[in-house]
Amino acid sequence: MANSSAVAVPAPTAAPLTSIRVPVWAWALLAVAVFTLYFVSQENGALLGAASAEMLHELTHDARHALGVPCH
Amino acid sequence: MISFGSVLRRGVAAGAAAGLVSALFIWLVVEPVIRKALVIEERRGASGGHAGGHAGESALFTIPASLPTHGGELVTRTQQVIGGAVTSVLVGIAFGVIFAVVFAKARHRLAGATDFWRSLGLATIGFGALTLLPAIVIPANPPAVGDPETVGQRTWLYVLALLLGVAIALAVPMLDRALARRGLTDSTRWSLDVVAALLAIITVVVVLPGTPDVVPDDVPADLLWEFRVASLGQLAAMWVTLGTVFGLLIERAVAAQRDSDGSASGQTPGRDVAAAGSPASA
Repeated sequence: MANSSAVAVPAPTAAPLTSIRVPVWAWALLAVAVFTLYFVSQENGALLGAASAEMLHELTHDARHALGVPCH
Repeated sequence: MISFGSVLRRGVAAGAAAGLVSALFIWLVVEPVIRKALVIEERRGASGGHAGGHAGESALFTIPASLPTHGGELVTRTQQVIGGAVTSVLVGIAFGVIFAVVFAKARHRLAGATDFWRSLGLATIGFGALTLLPAIVIPANPPAVGDPETVGQRTWLYVLALLLGVAIALAVPMLDRALARRGLTDSTRWSLDVVAALLAIITVVVVLPGTPDVVPDDVPADLLWEFRVASLGQLAAMWVTLGTVFGLLIERAVAAQRDSDGSASGQTPGRDVAAAGSPASA
């Protein structure tokens, strides 16, 4: 925002700031990350079978409470 | 130009650091409060009253009625504490990945003189939108609070607050650019940005209903307050670590990249020449 007029000298701050190109696979990775968050925070039997969901639910229990995610 | 691969690796590293810090924070600060809450749950179980507040079903998620009280047969307390630490590291890494992608996309729009300050700024926005706003709408609760009947409703409320927080974080910069196109001075524009953000936040807090739960009588207000402060503290520690570590790493990586670009002057500005390595990490 501030350095709108580019300085001609190749000083360290001269290069206009651009976003870093994000490849397509990165969005898939982002989806995996969001899914991981869902999985450890919300999985209450919606995807896994009852037994393994229960196990996961109890294992992540303390972190979920600490993270402020609603819990039973 | 720094490659996305090197940004991502730094995001994962910063996320892991944030996860470890939050695991440590849970262990030192949150666990003692959780232990106090579990004592209350056990007392209930012993008096045969509320059965630990655990059995029951919700509209969305079925929680088996056989779910043990904490420290029961299924998972020991030790496992639960270790599981909590592993979970917070996983959560940290997931946030690190998301942080890296958003930083790469939004870098040129973030305020701050250097990448370190841009990173801290993004972490602050993340804390506000993903942590503080949901925490105000539906505050964290220790075990022994929380009606199993309403967990679905509370979860939707939480997710809704979180998404509205993200929406505000996206909308305010759009407003800022629209005002900039109209040629408003910086001070006027920033004042309007702040007013718009505050109005949006207040609207969300006022319009969204509060938690449907009533805190049981045997849970002291002190304990509730202590837990909520500890929970917010843990999340703040996570965001501060994420922003700081990522900022430190990315600033050094950009400086190294600039040096190698500078020494290879005259050649085409090839992406990711030496120091950063293969971008195909995941």
